[in-house]
Amino acid sequence: MDKAQLLLSLAVAMFAIGMVGVIIRRNVLVMLMCMELMLNGVNLSLVTFAHQSGTTVGAVLVFLIFVVATAEIAIAIPIVLMLVKRKQTLDPAAYTDLKG
Amino acid sequence: MQALTLIVILPLVGFLINGLAGNKLGQKAVAVIGCGLPILSFAITVSMFMLLMQTGEARIETVYTWATVGETSFEIALYFDRLSAVMTLIVTGIGSLIHIYSIGYMKEDASFARFFAYLNLFLFFMLLLVLGRSLLVMFVGWEGVGLASYLLIGFWFEDPVNAKAGKKAFITNRVGDAGFLIGMFLLYNALGTLDLDRINSAFLAGPVAVSASLVGVFLFIGATGKSAQIPLHVWLPDAMAGPTPVSALIHAATMVTAGVYMIARLNGLYLHAPEASTLVAWVGAATAFFAATVAIVQTDIKKVLAYSTVSQLGFMFVALGVGAYGVAVFHLLTHAFFKACLFLGAGSVIHALSGEQDIRKMGGLAKRIPVTFWTFAIATGAIAGLPPLSGFFSKDEILWFALASERGGSVALMAVMAVTALMTAFYMFRLLWLTFMGASRMDHEVEHHVHESPFSMTGVLMVLAALAAVGGFIPIPHFLEPIAPLPKTLESMQAYHVPLIGLAIALGVAGLVAAAFVYRGDLALPKRLRESFSGLHALLSGKYFIDELYENLIQRPLHWISEKVFLNFGDRRLFDGTLNGMARLANASGGVLARVQTGSLHLYILLVMIGSFLALVWSWAHG
Amino acid sequence: MEAFLAGLDSLLLYIFAFSALIGSILVVVLRQPMRVATALISTMIFLGGVYGLLGVHFIAAFQVLIYVGAVMVFMVYVIMLLDPRDPAVKTRFSPLVVPGIIGGLLLAWALVHAVHGLLGNVTSTPARFGLKEFAVSFLNEYWLHFELTSVLLLAAVVASLAVIKGASGRNRG
Repeated sequence: MDKAQLLLSLAVAMFAIGMVGVIIRRNVLVMLMCMELMLNGVNLSLVTFAHQSGTTVGAVLVFLIFVVATAEIAIAIPIVLMLVKRKQTLDPAAYTDLKG
Repeated sequence: MQALTLIVILPLVGFLINGLAGNKLGQKAVAVIGCGLPILSFAITVSMFMLLMQTGEARIETVYTWATVGETSFEIALYFDRLSAVMTLIVTGIGSLIHIYSIGYMKEDASFARFFAYLNLFLFFMLLLVLGRSLLVMFVGWEGVGLASYLLIGFWFEDPVNAKAGKKAFITNRVGDAGFLIGMFLLYNALGTLDLDRINSAFLAGPVAVSASLVGVFLFIGATGKSAQIPLHVWLPDAMAGPTPVSALIHAATMVTAGVYMIARLNGLYLHAPEASTLVAWVGAATAFFAATVAIVQTDIKKVLAYSTVSQLGFMFVALGVGAYGVAVFHLLTHAFFKACLFLGAGSVIHALSGEQDIRKMGGLAKRIPVTFWTFAIATGAIAGLPPLSGFFSKDEILWFALASERGGSVALMAVMAVTALMTAFYMFRLLWLTFMGASRMDHEVEHHVHESPFSMTGVLMVLAALAAVGGFIPIPHFLEPIAPLPKTLESMQAYHVPLIGLAIALGVAGLVAAAFVYRGDLALPKRLRESFSGLHALLSGKYFIDELYENLIQRPLHWISEKVFLNFGDRRLFDGTLNGMARLANASGGVLARVQTGSLHLYILLVMIGSFLALVWSWAHG
Repeated sequence: MEAFLAGLDSLLLYIFAFSALIGSILVVVLRQPMRVATALISTMIFLGGVYGLLGVHFIAAFQVLIYVGAVMVFMVYVIMLLDPRDPAVKTRFSPLVVPGIIGGLLLAWALVHAVHGLLGNVTSTPARFGLKEFAVSFLNEYWLHFELTSVLLLAAVVASLAVIKGASGRNRG
């Protein structure tokens, strides 16, 4: 298997594992970390494409994703802190106030 | 305004005035308006009649163009020829007399004004019927008299029996009207016109696109309803629930004769409809026969007269069926005279006996109310066919043409009618005897108050009795020859013409003698006869149980269908069920769909994952 | 020597890739959140190594600097802040374990199928680009994106302040 194929498969696997992790785990912080895992998988695929194409587009996009991920975490964690303070638990099953 | 229109409009004006303001005007004013306007109509009719005799041509007046569809236009037009003249004179003349009678009869009634309003309304529609030029105008009058009849039968509507009788009359009429309408549709479809004179000339001119017999049968169904022939005769005896003047005017002299008039008017059509004419003749004969058998055992004075009317109408239809249209109209005229006299006489008797109508509780009235007795007796003689009273002439003509007409006359037909004539004489004289003769069987209280009616009532009785006596000398069949030629009579039967007259007289006399014999003295003989023939008596008393038959055959299934099929199944389960079901469906699906909003983040992400997987797969399938 | 180095390159790549995979599986599987964070950090570092092997050194530097150094450190602080005896620690998995795994396998299969043969065989050495080229294009062609990122960061700062301030304000009242 050549490099690109390997790396793309890895990226896909990381993405899928991350998504599965969000569905499977019962700890809100772990779910956030799995979302980070998904983002990393996407990053990897972008870097692979960038490496193949030789233009800088991919790298720029990767950098932007870094920024967005940081901003996202910066806000998501305080939200989680608020939630935990309210519900006294990290279990998302407790956060069902909007249940229809 | 044109004269014919005036004839028709005047009673309508009376209806409006008396109907809207009658209660405030007081009885005298109501009476003057209510009777004066019909009398005025009669006067105009007489002058129009004389004009007709002078000029000799029919008069057509167009009142109003109702609708124009394409090239055809439907107009409200009035048509005055010899036949219309005879009918209009009867309607306005006898109508006016009965209006005058009602002044005395309804004096004590609280709804005096309403009564006259309805009577005038009836006159208006009846005049539309007989003067209408097209079947459409006639149909408006046809329906209108049905409405007026309903209103008047159920005049004392506080008693539900009367209201029910009114309903029965109206609904039975409507059943017949369906046939009338179909006949109209067929005619219009084939000829493109509904004008009666044009229809007649079209049929006389040559073969027409539609079968004359088919149309004839359908129109006859309408006549069956209106003129109380089998099978739609059931409403007429019940209609006696209305006030007696109503019975006299509507159910003896005018409305029930509308069917006879209609067929006589369309003689051009019926001349080319032998099958329909045969049907008309035999239905008329059957009706006459069976109604007469029922009349023999009736105990209510008005019911006897009601069945008698049905029977006499049967006579008229027999005449129509064998092509003797003028003779039928002649009998219509004489019947109007003597039947109106009989009904009004009965009304006088009821008035004298303070409301008693059961003839088993009468008797011995001849000396106490002589005017009523003698007028009643003359009218009874007329209906029995004793010469030289009017009924003799018309009935004899009917018997003759029933035997000898080339268009369906036969010995069988004449035999049935002869037996019916015998029964007619019998039950009428029975009525006369039980009511007026013999010892008094009245309640003491009633007997104490027996009094002759006021002049407004007895005067009319006398006029009508005189007409019943001499009316036979009016040569109606000859008069109507130009419009409705009499049929040719078979050569083989010519020998029987004079003997037949003898037979008719003999039948009348035999009926008189038999009735006098059976109902003399203390009425022990009728009682014995009733006991020995109890089965037959029960059958006749129950009017052959036709009402019960209709109820079980038609009303119960209809009621069952309405209730079970339409109400329970159709309305409740289908409509309500569908609506409620849809609401429940919305509710349920909402409930099901709401389950998606579990609030569980894990489920949401799982759904996202599955969604994206499906999107990927879909994108492959669609390039 | 070249072949050896190239072979070493490939070997390292395989090792790093495989380790990253192990790390990500551990992220999903480990019980305690602190250990999960550690697994994630290691995954990220291995990914950084992959980036470096691909030649984009500055991206690798950014990966470790930003992701590990900022994001994961923040996460670790929060994990340490919150009570470890939380019942969520006891029950690791949500009720949707089985459908999740099945869905994940399906998704993975679908994605692999999608990217299969997407990129042709690498025969020629692609042009490498360094930090200089990156910076130049970033500030020339993609300057709008650059400015927008600063806006985004500002928004993030304001938002997090708002979230914290609002909560504490309510508590004080």
